[in-house]
Amino acid sequence: MKATFLRLISYSLQYRKILIEALLLLIVATSASVIGPYLIKVFIDEYLTPGHWVFNEILLLVIAYIAAQLVGAKTFFMQALRFNRVALNVVQTIREEIFAHVQRLPMAYFDITPTGSLISRMTNDTEAIKDLYVNVISTFIQNGIRVLGILVAMAVLDVKLMLICAVLVPTVLFIMWLYQRISTPVFQQVRNLLSDINANLNESIQGMAVIQLMNQQQRFTQRFSKTNQLHYRAKVRNIIIDGFMLRALVDFIYIMLLAALLLGFGLASLSAEETVQIGVIYAFINYLGNITEPLIDMTSKLNMSQQALVSASRVFAVMDETPTPMVSKPLAPPTNRIAFAIERFSYDQRKDVLQDIHLDIPEGAFVGIVGHTGSGKSTLMSLLMSFYPLQHGQIRLGDMDLSEIPAAERTRRIGYVQQDPFIFSGTIADNIRLELELSADEIEQAARQAQLHEAVLRKPDGYQTVLTERGGNLSTGQRQLLSLARTLARRPSVLILDEATANIDSHTEALIQQSLMLLRGKITLLVIAHRLSTVQTADELVVLHQGQIRQRGTHRNLMLEEGLYKHMYELQQTADPFMGD
Amino acid sequence: MSVFFKLVWFFRQEWPRYSIAIVALVCVGLLVMVPPWLTGTLVDAIADGTLTQPQLFRLLGWIALVAFLSYLLRVVWRVALFGASYTLARQLRLKLFQHLTSQPPAFFQRHNTGDLMARATNDIQAIEMTAGEAVLALFDGAFTGLIVLIILTTQFSLPLTLFALIPWPIVGFFMWRFGKELHISFRDAQARFSDLNDDVQESLSGIRVTRAFGREAVEQEDFNHIAAAANEANQRVATTDSKYDPAIQLAIGMSFFMSVVGGSWLIYHGQLTLGELTSFTLYLGYMIWPMFAVGWLLNLVERGQAAYRRLEELFEIRPLIADQGTYEDKVEPSLAITIRQFKYDVQSPLVLKDIAIQVSIGQTLGIVGHTGAGKTTLLNILLRHEESPDTDIRLGGKQLADFSLHNLRRHLVMVPQTPFLFSASVAENIALAKPDASLAEIEAVARIAEVHDDIMRFPDAYQTMVGERGITLSGGQKQRIAIARALLQDAPILILDDALSAVDVRTEQKILEHLRDNRAEKTTIIVCHRLTAIEKADQIIVLQHGETVENGTHRSLLQAQGWYRQMYDYQQLERAVEEGR
Repeated sequence: MKATFLRLISYSLQYRKILIEALLLLIVATSASVIGPYLIKVFIDEYLTPGHWVFNEILLLVIAYIAAQLVGAKTFFMQALRFNRVALNVVQTIREEIFAHVQRLPMAYFDITPTGSLISRMTNDTEAIKDLYVNVISTFIQNGIRVLGILVAMAVLDVKLMLICAVLVPTVLFIMWLYQRISTPVFQQVRNLLSDINANLNESIQGMAVIQLMNQQQRFTQRFSKTNQLHYRAKVRNIIIDGFMLRALVDFIYIMLLAALLLGFGLASLSAEETVQIGVIYAFINYLGNITEPLIDMTSKLNMSQQALVSASRVFAVMDETPTPMVSKPLAPPTNRIAFAIERFSYDQRKDVLQDIHLDIPEGAFVGIVGHTGSGKSTLMSLLMSFYPLQHGQIRLGDMDLSEIPAAERTRRIGYVQQDPFIFSGTIADNIRLELELSADEIEQAARQAQLHEAVLRKPDGYQTVLTERGGNLSTGQRQLLSLARTLARRPSVLILDEATANIDSHTEALIQQSLMLLRGKITLLVIAHRLSTVQTADELVVLHQGQIRQRGTHRNLMLEEGLYKHMYELQQTADPFMGD
Repeated sequence: MSVFFKLVWFFRQEWPRYSIAIVALVCVGLLVMVPPWLTGTLVDAIADGTLTQPQLFRLLGWIALVAFLSYLLRVVWRVALFGASYTLARQLRLKLFQHLTSQPPAFFQRHNTGDLMARATNDIQAIEMTAGEAVLALFDGAFTGLIVLIILTTQFSLPLTLFALIPWPIVGFFMWRFGKELHISFRDAQARFSDLNDDVQESLSGIRVTRAFGREAVEQEDFNHIAAAANEANQRVATTDSKYDPAIQLAIGMSFFMSVVGGSWLIYHGQLTLGELTSFTLYLGYMIWPMFAVGWLLNLVERGQAAYRRLEELFEIRPLIADQGTYEDKVEPSLAITIRQFKYDVQSPLVLKDIAIQVSIGQTLGIVGHTGAGKTTLLNILLRHEESPDTDIRLGGKQLADFSLHNLRRHLVMVPQTPFLFSASVAENIALAKPDASLAEIEAVARIAEVHDDIMRFPDAYQTMVGERGITLSGGQKQRIAIARALLQDAPILILDDALSAVDVRTEQKILEHLRDNRAEKTTIIVCHRLTAIEKADQIIVLQHGETVENGTHRSLLQAQGWYRQMYDYQQLERAVEEGR
């Protein structure tokens, strides 16, 4: 936790100048605010008590007082602005850093980490850091200096009495420490039990059908009731600790100190040597009242910091994940010939998804990759996209190992139309253009190539039609065509097409086929097809089964053998009677 | 404030704790008035030089006594008041849980888990705060404010009080304006935060596109813009928020200033003593908290009111199908299903029509049909999740509605296609309906469901945790565990709703064989997609568009050359492809 805290603080050091400014302003603000009671003390002792009514001097005091109040308020506001600016800039920096880092994490990281929790790291947890900075750290600095300022002002008035009041500081620090020790375990228990209650409730809601079918309502209710009861008891324990140790105790100490202070004044006034100035009493009482509030404020904010530090450590844990190494050599492969030589590949190092894949794909070829669900087709293409590192074997593009080619070069050459194309919020044109500077003509040309143009013209606003979330106002086929258009707009040398589902409608299929015919020979086409008719005319078909190449050849050749391809073809010729009609 | 009236039942139930809390609060409110008064007396005595040692110790003794008493009373009211409010949360949570256990599946389709969880967490918390913090703000804040005002005006001077309070309405006006400003900028900051959320969500979901197109830099730039916008919005919130503290300080400072100015005037005219002025300013300090308490109170009550209304709405929902059956005895597991017609509501289309099925004791019934043929509806009617005057289901010769739901569920057990497992051990999941089952019993059913060997390979065998905090099970393992769970319930009628879909054919055949061996005299209904599951069924019906189109045994249906035969051939070919033949 300490390391996390220091790491958090280190971010603010680059704003050293603003921080120093803020600190100076804070000192001015604090001085101005403690000077007020002092001026009143001067007024009481020098003018009011002796009845010394000198108008000019009193007016000067009044002006000084009002000026101090105004300066205090203004400088306090200014220092707060500066502290906030630093705090919020730090949070922005952390956000940018974690986002940049996540962008560079290997694909496998996203397979095992739930998206929801990763989003939470980047948003809610960084927000908690913001709260820590804005509410806790600033509060501690401001209140710490305020307490210090008050003690200095007291010392100026009377050192001995200041020492009595100063007892408050170590006492409250001790209470804070003790409170943390006693309350943290109970507080944790309350939190854990609450999350148990919520998990239990959440699970029971989802499993209610089973609970009811099995007549277990009563047992589950009892179980819930028990956790609920434990949570209640823990909360009561917590409030008892809070009751004895927080506000009530500080208030108690405050009144006792007031008594001690009055005792000091009383004894001084009883002893003949000293004279007690009433103004001093007034100022002291005033200062004492102002010193307790900051201390209570600090104690109650401690719990918050605990939580924020947990968030921060989670954020840092993501930022400490090893990213994919960057290739910096500016190499460009001479050709676009692709050679797969994969001994084996596995996502989890246990079960092989691909085995013994040796394939040579010359420039400009049209290769269809077919196979049943789970045969490894998409994995093969993910490897070509370098989404996963290949440990056993290699993939070469233009006689260079894929891992040695810089990402920019690789992505420029290989275009990938995904199974489930991702639609960004924006218009159709935006989704084709993405970050490229494309003219309307170029966008239209890409759309025509992808056979999407007609469909776009039927939309109310044509290319300017705004797509709803995840492209809800496009059909599955249209989304795929859009993804194709977007990829073609980038003029790739190799096009990978991962056909969405076996259930793609025949109209879209025909459109995709037309596009492929247009591109054939110009660029290398690697098409994963569920619909075998899409790739019937390919130069070569590769039939995968359980991660291995089962058959290869043209459609005509493969149909001559009694084998997997022929059976798949026959299966597709018959409609699935289960799908209704 | 009407939420307080709605909570009267609770205040009445918890009257001892509320009485104690309110009495303690009022006593504290009165007790804290004592030290300023005594301080004033003491100051006067010092100023006049009339202070004696016994008087000093008597006064300080009283102050110490007050400090001690108010400390104890503060602990008392805190524990009593908050303890009571925790009880309310506990009761409402349990009531909600019980309410949910009595709701049919239709209810959970209408209310999603997220909404129900929001009721159970946020809303209950808001109500808890109404019963705790709001009562505190009312009695401590408003009451203290009133007492102080009375003391200031009656014991000191009405004009002086009015004069000293001049800054407060001014500051109140500014607070109101800051509040409005804060509200607007806060909403903006929340909107920017949700932009941030959306952007992170989008970029994580689209990470494959980003990688494929090599557009990491663009994503980063977009994110940085949004993070910067969030920073600016937060900056505005912080700026407004930073105005509060100086404004309050200024108000307090000016208020004290006014009281000194006005007080000096009165002292000059001999209408006030120095000590009285000191205690007057101390009392003035007590006015700060009540000023805030009122706003806080209104806020809490508003939130509590909305939350309570939402919860009430939920509690008012009664299940459509009433549990009014009284029959509690066992019957033989024979079924006579007659459905003249069934639709979900008057306007919707017919789902089932002219169904008549007889299943005698010990028989196995197979139900097949295309997606949407009405299989699920038929099961829903059997389980009495749905009913209609046009259906007549007899179990052992008695109408379903005659059974109590509890008894009906003892007779019927269903395994769904996607079973729900609880975050508990495998053994606990299997023993759901029979928590006191021995390990031998659990193992026996696990063997029948062909999942024993799988379980023995888990790290802790039967004690292995499943679900979020445990291991991830395959779909087939889940289905088999759910079958074992259903078998342990030992109901005379077992329904498998496509519950073997993720199990391979060989295992499926073994399970079915075990069922035949172990379930003599008991009835089984199998709904399935894969026909191998019903090859040995005594009776098979084929549903199409809600009507029975074919009826017979596997053998007779194959000969009939109808839909069943077509399906059978298709699945034979499908199997060949799956196995790579």
